[in-house]
Amino acid sequence: MNKKPKFKMSAMAKREERWGLIFVAAPAIGFVLFMAWPIIFAILTSLTKWNGSKGFAGMMSKYCGLDNYVKLFQDTKFWKTVLTTVIYLIGIPVGMILGLILAMGMNRKIPGVRVLRTMYYVPVISSLVAVSILWAWVYNYDYGLLNVIIKTLTGHHGPNWLGDEILIKVSMIIFMVWKGLGTSIILYLAGLQNIPRSYYEAAMVDGANGWQKFKNITLPLLSPVTFYILVTTLIGGFQVFVEVQVMTNKGGIGYSAATIVYYLYEKAFESYQLGYASAISLVLAVIVFIITALNFKVQKHWVKTID
Amino acid sequence: MKKVLSLLLVAAMVIGILAACGGKEAAETPAEENKQEETVGAKIEVKEEALNDVKVEGDFAGQDIRVFIFAQEHEKTVYQSLIDKFTAQTGANVTFEVTTSDEYGQKLLAYKAAEDMPDVFYVGPEAVAANVNDGYLLPLDDYVDAAVVNNLWGTVASAYRYDGKTAGNGQGSLYALPKDLSTFAFAYNKDIFDAAGVAYPDPANPYTWDEFVEVCKKLTIDKDGDGEIDQWGCANALQWALDAFIYTNGGHFLNEDYTKVVIDGQPEFVDAFQFFADLTCKYGVTPTVEQDTALGGYQRWLDGQIGFYACGTWDVGAFMDKNTFPYQWGLCGWPTGKTGVSMTRNGSVGFAVSKDSKVPEAAAKLITLFSTDLEGQRVLSGETTGASLQIPNIMDYAKGDFKAKIADGTIPYGDNVDVIFNYIEGTDKYRGLFVETNYTYNADWWSEFLSGGYEYVLKGEKTAAEYCHEVQPAMQAALDNAIELQKAAEN
Repeated sequence: MNKKPKFKMSAMAKREERWGLIFVAAPAIGFVLFMAWPIIFAILTSLTKWNGSKGFAGMMSKYCGLDNYVKLFQDTKFWKTVLTTVIYLIGIPVGMILGLILAMGMNRKIPGVRVLRTMYYVPVISSLVAVSILWAWVYNYDYGLLNVIIKTLTGHHGPNWLGDEILIKVSMIIFMVWKGLGTSIILYLAGLQNIPRSYYEAAMVDGANGWQKFKNITLPLLSPVTFYILVTTLIGGFQVFVEVQVMTNKGGIGYSAATIVYYLYEKAFESYQLGYASAISLVLAVIVFIITALNFKVQKHWVKTID
Repeated sequence: MKKVLSLLLVAAMVIGILAACGGKEAAETPAEENKQEETVGAKIEVKEEALNDVKVEGDFAGQDIRVFIFAQEHEKTVYQSLIDKFTAQTGANVTFEVTTSDEYGQKLLAYKAAEDMPDVFYVGPEAVAANVNDGYLLPLDDYVDAAVVNNLWGTVASAYRYDGKTAGNGQGSLYALPKDLSTFAFAYNKDIFDAAGVAYPDPANPYTWDEFVEVCKKLTIDKDGDGEIDQWGCANALQWALDAFIYTNGGHFLNEDYTKVVIDGQPEFVDAFQFFADLTCKYGVTPTVEQDTALGGYQRWLDGQIGFYACGTWDVGAFMDKNTFPYQWGLCGWPTGKTGVSMTRNGSVGFAVSKDSKVPEAAAKLITLFSTDLEGQRVLSGETTGASLQIPNIMDYAKGDFKAKIADGTIPYGDNVDVIFNYIEGTDKYRGLFVETNYTYNADWWSEFLSGGYEYVLKGEKTAAEYCHEVQPAMQAALDNAIELQKAAEN
């Protein structure tokens, strides 16, 4: 048998190793405390009927196996919120297309372009609660800006934007697109400015028209940005909560505007079913994980880089 | 290994991001009156000298009491003053933590999960059973004098009793002393009645439904002649007002032992709900669903657009404030259905002592002071502030001095304060009750009723019978789940 050769470390090396371990320990402990343990705790909670009482021991005494998951898969209200959440995702491609168009417009040297860029970015840095309240007023049936415009232009009263099962979803999507547009524009602008001019010059020499340049140069070379926006907005899209909480009355007419996270919140903090709410959060995490993984899997077929 | 690690990291990122989302919080105890209280615009000032005569007996030197409640500013001032008197006279140390009603539930939940319960905290009647089952509440029978309990309103003392089976039926130990007992009476705008030339309602004889509709029709008018109605007979927020129609018609949501939802095909319930909806979609005497989403009934009432509107005991201070509500008004009974008795919901929040408290005697003494000290009650019921936010907990005072001060104008109040007393005490024409959510483990079954799309009934696009038939299975599933959770909590 071969024995491993023994290395004797110098005092300095030992000290360095110790410091190295200390430096590594900070993020490692942080990860265990704030990531790994909460995940394990959430998994454990999801296997109980815990209502928050009597700490960890109280939780484990209410162990119920996979009951919460079985119930969840039969819970029509949960699936309704899943469907609503997915419908809201329609706003993602809409926002991306609009963002790209506006970014291309703002990528030109036109007067006032900086002011325009700033204005589009204002919603991004504004408080989500504040702008949600603002938009709830925009959509107000009698006094809302939207219906006042409709009445002025057509002479007819506008619809009840937040009081109809379909319109409430449309209203939420419009709001989300507006709120997220600034981010897409900024990212696309950065992407556009990274495309070397020489590519367009070469295309011009080859006689390419505007559409061909856009289709064969701009779009493919923006694909990493598109991919980034897609992944982050998809994750964000599954977490919609504040808008629903602020703009609707208890999830809207017939619970038509409620999202997965809104339902989770109600279960956890209004009826104190922490076990059930944890099960919802884990199923949601799995859904997001699968979609994100699929995105990464498929991206190699369409995401192109300059290299 | 690398793959596993990276998978873990991605999972952690996803869950971390999900965990980061949050928002407005809710109270554990519904404490409906407190949620609505926050709509009040009246500014109330409390004079410290109003509490000069407070006397406390007992020696609790060196004992630490932790109090955690939600309160508005003026209430906080009153309780802080009472605490100051308590600490000065008994030698106890009191830590007083106050939050908002919105945040209370989550903070209390955190204390429960961390097993770090305050000695004194709020509990609503609906949460007594669950908290006793979880071992959080100290029975107060050995700590509070019977004379004190006997001088509380019977309704509210019963509400905080629990015998291990059913809470709120007056049986078993007492688990809390009331912070207040509220009732959800009905009010009318006298100026609107005068302008329409309609006689005021007679509080001795609440309207029947038919009479009510007729009066409301007279009050529903297009004032400015633009072709659109801009003054309505009444406005009713379903989540608070439906009970008043259901119970007076002999209807109920649940069976006697609160295990079955029984609204589908129950004529008393269905007819009452249909009448409630007809006020909007058939008789047109309330704002439409659309108009209500644009501007709620409360705002319209304050703006003088509504003839009849609900008036909780906590609303009186605001309705008497001329800057908030510049109209004359009076109290009357909710209209009566089949039973001929005007009914409404009562509400309450109570001071409880933690079962794990190391200073139960001192804590019980303190909550007795909070709940039943005469000077404190004078402030909270408006005698020394001029703004009444609650009916006094002490019956003798409520029926004696309090009413006398209303009569002589010291406490500003709408006409017919007896309506409030009638609902609290119960008469042959009036009855106040705790709604059925108080007797079930949680209120999820009621949330199902609210989230099932009842608005379609108010719009006339669906009948009450159809809606009840549709929504009952979901309500029953939620109730079954509540019963299951209660069993899990009891084990």
